Amino acid sequence: MGAYAIRRALINIPVIWLIVTLVFFATNVLPGDFVARRIAQQNPAGGVDAAAQIAQIKRELGTDKPVLERYVRYLADTLRGDLGESYRTRDSAFAEFSRGVPYTLQLSLMTLAVALLTSVPIGIISALRQDSPADYGLRLLAILGVAAPNFWVGTVLLLLVVRFDLWTIDLVNHPLVWEHPLRSVQLFILPALAGGFASGAGIMRLTRSQMLEVLRQDYIRTAWSKGLRERVVVVRHAMKNAMIPVVTVIGLTVAGVLSGNVVFEYLFNIPGVGNRVLTAINERDVPVVQAFVLIIATFVLFVNLAIDLLYGWLDPRIRIP
Amino acid sequence: MLSAKTNPIDEDFRSRPAGRVLPLRAARAVLTFAVRKPLGGAGAALVVLVAVVALFAPLIDRYDPEQVFSRSNPDFDAELAEKSLIDRSLRFQYPPEKFEPVVIAAVDGMSADHWFGTDTAGRDLYSRIVWGARLSLLVGVGAAVIAIAAGLVLGTISAYFGGLVDLAVQRFADALQAFPALILLLLFLQVFENANKYQMTVALGIVGIASVIRVVRSAVLRTRAELYVEAARVVGATDARVMVRHILPNIAAPTIVIFTVSIGSYIVAESSLAFIGFGDPAAISWGRMVNEGRRLFPAEYAMSLFAGGAITLTVLGFNLAGDALRDVLDPRLRGSGRGGF
Repeated sequence: MGAYAIRRALINIPVIWLIVTLVFFATNVLPGDFVARRIAQQNPAGGVDAAAQIAQIKRELGTDKPVLERYVRYLADTLRGDLGESYRTRDSAFAEFSRGVPYTLQLSLMTLAVALLTSVPIGIISALRQDSPADYGLRLLAILGVAAPNFWVGTVLLLLVVRFDLWTIDLVNHPLVWEHPLRSVQLFILPALAGGFASGAGIMRLTRSQMLEVLRQDYIRTAWSKGLRERVVVVRHAMKNAMIPVVTVIGLTVAGVLSGNVVFEYLFNIPGVGNRVLTAINERDVPVVQAFVLIIATFVLFVNLAIDLLYGWLDPRIRIP
Repeated sequence: MLSAKTNPIDEDFRSRPAGRVLPLRAARAVLTFAVRKPLGGAGAALVVLVAVVALFAPLIDRYDPEQVFSRSNPDFDAELAEKSLIDRSLRFQYPPEKFEPVVIAAVDGMSADHWFGTDTAGRDLYSRIVWGARLSLLVGVGAAVIAIAAGLVLGTISAYFGGLVDLAVQRFADALQAFPALILLLLFLQVFENANKYQMTVALGIVGIASVIRVVRSAVLRTRAELYVEAARVVGATDARVMVRHILPNIAAPTIVIFTVSIGSYIVAESSLAFIGFGDPAAISWGRMVNEGRRLFPAEYAMSLFAGGAITLTVLGFNLAGDALRDVLDPRLRGSGRGGF
């Protein structure tokens, strides 16, 4: 197990190198140059000695060197833990990332809470009352939840709150929960509901099908015939085994915690990681894009590794030798 | 060594049903599918509906989707306008709307003329939603075809040869999957300035390759161990021949399933991109309509609701049909998650 974990961790290194390379070349062949944009901003009238200015700015940013040289330099910097600084603000890209983290973390955790609180109990109820009207209703809801695009559900929720004047949404100050708890929840609850509904629908369907499979097993019949109460059969015998694939899906959701949800952060004007990466891509702020993608992808890879190991721990039958 | 062309085993087993029987068998298969899987049948019907709407958009739309409508201006002052022809200075003394007999019919409500009303630029919303089906289907099906084609090649090669090839392909898939899908898409799209719908389809297809590789690879690994593959190799079939003639036909079921199931996620991805402003500016996109309609809240909401409803129904159709196909064709895949995103 230990050797396996180490091997899996080491295998992530070439993957990270692939990601870094991919991002470097994707961002360095962008046609819309950051420099050209800056020139345009500095000289709205145009006409000034643009060529000299472009050369000057390129020298400042270090983008006048050949691509390969920059690539090697970039790899070396990354290895030393230096993720570069933003073209735009000249602030470190890592600082830019950390400023987005609290917002994204709050949104992701609230979304995850909504998803888990609704999906797992509903999936279990749906399986226990298979083919009852409640089961059909809940399944229909889940099917719709998977199909409806999350940005549309978010938009409709926003519309409902504004239209019926349920509460005021602070789209300007976007407070965090420890800054202004009530207003923060009033804002974040909408994307959390929309996102939680979407990912919860998938988890609910998986929970239901897994529960149905497990409930047909012999040991469940044995548990019933011993005269155990429903709660004990469901919670102690069935749920434990039905939850294994569900844990994987939940893990994938956790892996996305730092990625930020670009669509919701855009829609609700939340300055999280997703919104910042969107701005950086728009502004061609290459170091920021590179740093964000590197941090996010590394996080995702290692969470995936943790899930794989957790999987073997949960179910000794599939433990890898 | 036998040449590939005269492989006796292949010749013997090359028995195909006669041509005339095929349509009948297909029709019966469709009927059985619809009866056994009513939800899947409903999904397939939805898919057919969207496909018909997209194909025959010029017949179904009621107006040109780009035609801008106008309506009479209540503020128009005919007398003043006539006077202004003589006395030009009047034009500067009164607000400009007094002189316009008609204005753009922006955001009109639902009516017999405009079933869903008009959009912000005064165009018929119903016609635009009809035409939007084209983009969604093009991008959804196109991206799925690209992802399947590339994923089949890479996945088959990866599983068939194993070893270093397998390791390299798997790490490539890992790298693709470590990106949040939307951020990877944005990165690809920024390589083109204002990507058009074809470039967007290619980008979506590339992002979807990783999950196809995984499904294909595990299917090939199962098939590769079968006796008939070994037999084909024993009689001297080349690697390419074994892959194309013996392995590919036997992994058709999971491939068809992941093809159908992933289309819905590509459609959602396209509309998400259009929603955040990265769509093809020249195309009519449901996702962009949701975003444009959002600016009219809370007074007007028809645009967002109808466009989002169209996406939901289309995706619902593909998902239901795909889930039912999966149950029928490949029960082992059940619960293994959705392709694409």
